[in-house]
Amino acid sequence: MENIDTGSGIVSSGECLTFTLGKEEYGIDILKVQEIRGYEAPTRIANAPPFIKGVINLRGVIVPIIDLRLKFNLGNPSYDQFTVVIILNIGKRVVGAVVDGVSDVIQISPENLRPAPEFGSILDTQYILGLGTIDERMIIVVDIEKLMTSQEMALVEDIGA
Amino acid sequence: MTIDMSQFYQVFFEEAGEHLANMESQLLALDVENPSTEDLNAIFRAAHSIKGGSGRFGFTDMTEVTHILETLLDKLRKEELPVRAEMVDAFLSAGDVLRGQLEHHQGGPEVDQAQIREVCDRLNALSAGEHAPEPRRLWLECRIAPEMAADPQGVEDLIQGLSELANLELHQRPAPGDPRLSGWLTTDRRDGEILEALSFHAFPEDISLGQTGTGPSPVGTPPDPTPPLETSSQADPGYGFFDEEPGATEPAGPAQAESRRDDDGFGFFDDAPGLPAEATAAPSTATDGKDEDADGYGFFEDAPGRPDFPHDKDVSAGDSPAALEGQGYGIFVDGPGGMGIFDSAPGAPRMSQASQPAASAGAPAKTATPQAQDNANKGRRAGDNMAAAVHSETSSIRVSVEKVDQLINLVGELVITQAMIADAASYLDPIQAEKLLSGIDLVSRNTRDLQESVMSIRMLPMSMVFSRFPRVIRDLAGKLNKQVELRTFGEGTELDKGLIEKITDPLTHLIRNSLDHGIETPDKRVQAGKAPKGTITLKASHQGGNIVIEVIDDGAGLNREKLLTKAKERGLNVSDSMPDHEVWQLIFAPGFSTAEVVTDVSGRGVGMDVVKKNIEGLGGRVELESITGHGTRTVIRLPLTLAILDGMSVGVGGETFIVPLTAIIESLQPTPDDIKTMAGDSRVVNIRGEYLPIIALTDVFGCSGTQNLEQGIFVVVEAESGKAALFVDELLGQHQVVIKSLEANYRKVPGTSGATIMGDGSVAMILDVGAVTRMGLTNETRRLAA
Repeated sequence: MENIDTGSGIVSSGECLTFTLGKEEYGIDILKVQEIRGYEAPTRIANAPPFIKGVINLRGVIVPIIDLRLKFNLGNPSYDQFTVVIILNIGKRVVGAVVDGVSDVIQISPENLRPAPEFGSILDTQYILGLGTIDERMIIVVDIEKLMTSQEMALVEDIGA
Repeated sequence: MTIDMSQFYQVFFEEAGEHLANMESQLLALDVENPSTEDLNAIFRAAHSIKGGSGRFGFTDMTEVTHILETLLDKLRKEELPVRAEMVDAFLSAGDVLRGQLEHHQGGPEVDQAQIREVCDRLNALSAGEHAPEPRRLWLECRIAPEMAADPQGVEDLIQGLSELANLELHQRPAPGDPRLSGWLTTDRRDGEILEALSFHAFPEDISLGQTGTGPSPVGTPPDPTPPLETSSQADPGYGFFDEEPGATEPAGPAQAESRRDDDGFGFFDDAPGLPAEATAAPSTATDGKDEDADGYGFFEDAPGRPDFPHDKDVSAGDSPAALEGQGYGIFVDGPGGMGIFDSAPGAPRMSQASQPAASAGAPAKTATPQAQDNANKGRRAGDNMAAAVHSETSSIRVSVEKVDQLINLVGELVITQAMIADAASYLDPIQAEKLLSGIDLVSRNTRDLQESVMSIRMLPMSMVFSRFPRVIRDLAGKLNKQVELRTFGEGTELDKGLIEKITDPLTHLIRNSLDHGIETPDKRVQAGKAPKGTITLKASHQGGNIVIEVIDDGAGLNREKLLTKAKERGLNVSDSMPDHEVWQLIFAPGFSTAEVVTDVSGRGVGMDVVKKNIEGLGGRVELESITGHGTRTVIRLPLTLAILDGMSVGVGGETFIVPLTAIIESLQPTPDDIKTMAGDSRVVNIRGEYLPIIALTDVFGCSGTQNLEQGIFVVVEAESGKAALFVDELLGQHQVVIKSLEANYRKVPGTSGATIMGDGSVAMILDVGAVTRMGLTNETRRLAA
């Protein structure tokens, strides 16, 4: 159900922010994006998974930073002045995601979305809303809210933990 | 004209809540023996305001209760009836009912109708009650305790005390060796009060207090002990003169008068001389009662200045004071439209009822006259009210806590940003950038001032917490048959609102504990050579960056033997040679109920471990001292605010952590000789003869600090599991840090209690010392097991 709800959210805004991880191009609902900023060294969190880089001070708010490149084993996890952090608003939470680069804002209508084939890949298909095509480029449209609140992201307190 | 009343509800709820709290504190502070008109008026005003507001908003249930409450209060105010302790009790219960009703209107559970009826009946019975007792002569004879008689000062005090209560014609003065005291008392006080004065010096069975006629003539020899002893046993209940009057809950009527007469026979509340008038009044209660009603409803109607009842029409219609009063209520509503609700709801159904007896008794003229006067009075009072309201409106505004919190957050940002600018500017050439630097100085001073004043918005005085304890103590002391006096100091000490809310429960628990298990019953106290009335002292003060709250009782203190026995039963690691202060700490152990330990009274509520946990959760500490037989002192230390913490920043492998200052005992550089290993690998450090486990933060947080114990620094901390030495690379400094939640956007991080933003804008973790210690110890165990 949730999937459908967030899916329709994409449709309603109709606009996706696309970013690259390595050679792949991903799209997320633009309404979930709060801002895009440069990378600054976060404060490490002890005993956290490696893809959680730590927390930063975003104008007084402590925001965790996730490196999606590490999470998906894509691209080159280097950090320089060109590294980009997408600050996302997921529910009431604010989360930062490190990506290789932000490329575009595109319109994707649901008709153009093709279902993703079931692979036993790192990125479970349940987080993929579909595959879109823009000028021969394949955009993997991700349900970022579902992904970020998923247990494997370890961003949210486990229920019952 | 229709106004959406619901938009004003919240204002009414808040105001009514304040009036109720106000009324309660006034009632508790009321000197029953000698009530000042001022106090009674204040209580009346509070009740009246609630009535007016509730009526206007259509909360008729509240109007009805306050109306009855007000009727009695008005009689007290006009000195038509004397104030009695049970009236205060009844008022307090009425306050409880009203609070329940108020909560019900805010979506809370419904109030038990039986309870409301009971309170109303009680109030009605009281307001239909007796007239002031007249002075009478009593023969007092008692044998005071020999040790008291031997003390001339004590005897003098006793006689002084009696003279204050009554006109004393002393027949025999107690002297060392002859502890008898006798004499004539001329007084209008209740027997119970005189016995109370004596209870200090003599046992109840040694006191006899006879009515006129039963005693001897002033010149006669002291009477035969038998009859006075009998009276004394009857008068004994006088000790419990805070108890409810047995007849108080019954409805007014002949039966009530009857039961009251019974009471009088006991010399319980009232004396014989008052009785005849009462008795003659009783048969006519039926008509009187109605009269009373008519009169009572008169109040109702004059409150909003509404011409309604036939007999009152001409009075209130053209009566400017009444109109003035109507305006006084404009605090609640801003138009006469609101009064319509008041009109129709409670007034109408009663009108027929009220006018009937009024007509049949031929009373309209009679009731109207006092009414007019009443209106005039009220008008004046409303004028006062209005002045007070105007004053309070200009001096304070209601702001939601969220807005204040947002303001505090923004100022926090400003402080950090300011620190960053100052940091960046420190690299500039002071001569070239002179103007800029002085500007930055100014900004930093202004920011600090701003931060302080913004923080002070959230600060509330401790009296917010303390004010509820007189009631707690009064109720509980009554239940336990103990006499307790509460003293409070430092009510003006200010504390963060969040802390105020969270400290109330632990404090209530401590006070209940003191009362239940600390303070002894009056008999036991007298036996132990203490005053029968116990004292519980509440103190609040600032000490450094902390607030210190003390709960002190002069009760029995903790029992070392029992604590140790209990601890052994529970399998705790104790020895008979433990120092006292360690024994006292045992009661903070989980599951270690003080009730089972310190007294045999079964305990209520949570244990001291919860108190300790709650206070530690607030970043505070609890300490307990006790001297068996003399009392117990519990000291709570809290940070001034939840949002700011005093911390020591430590560096470990280039990372910065904040250790709460409250947890730190000392920091020291170890010598190689002090570091020992246990079982080959576990490391301990010897600090003045004490072996503390070494917990290296590099291990706990997996960071790359030095492993060489001789290069770093030990920070000795105290956690709930005991002391430990945290091993860090370096001490960086001491800061006041603003606590930021990690959970807001992330999750709880083991070993930390939050994060903060340092002056350079970076984030630093705040250590949860207890958790770090635990993690360190388990890490060590795991490492050894592997």
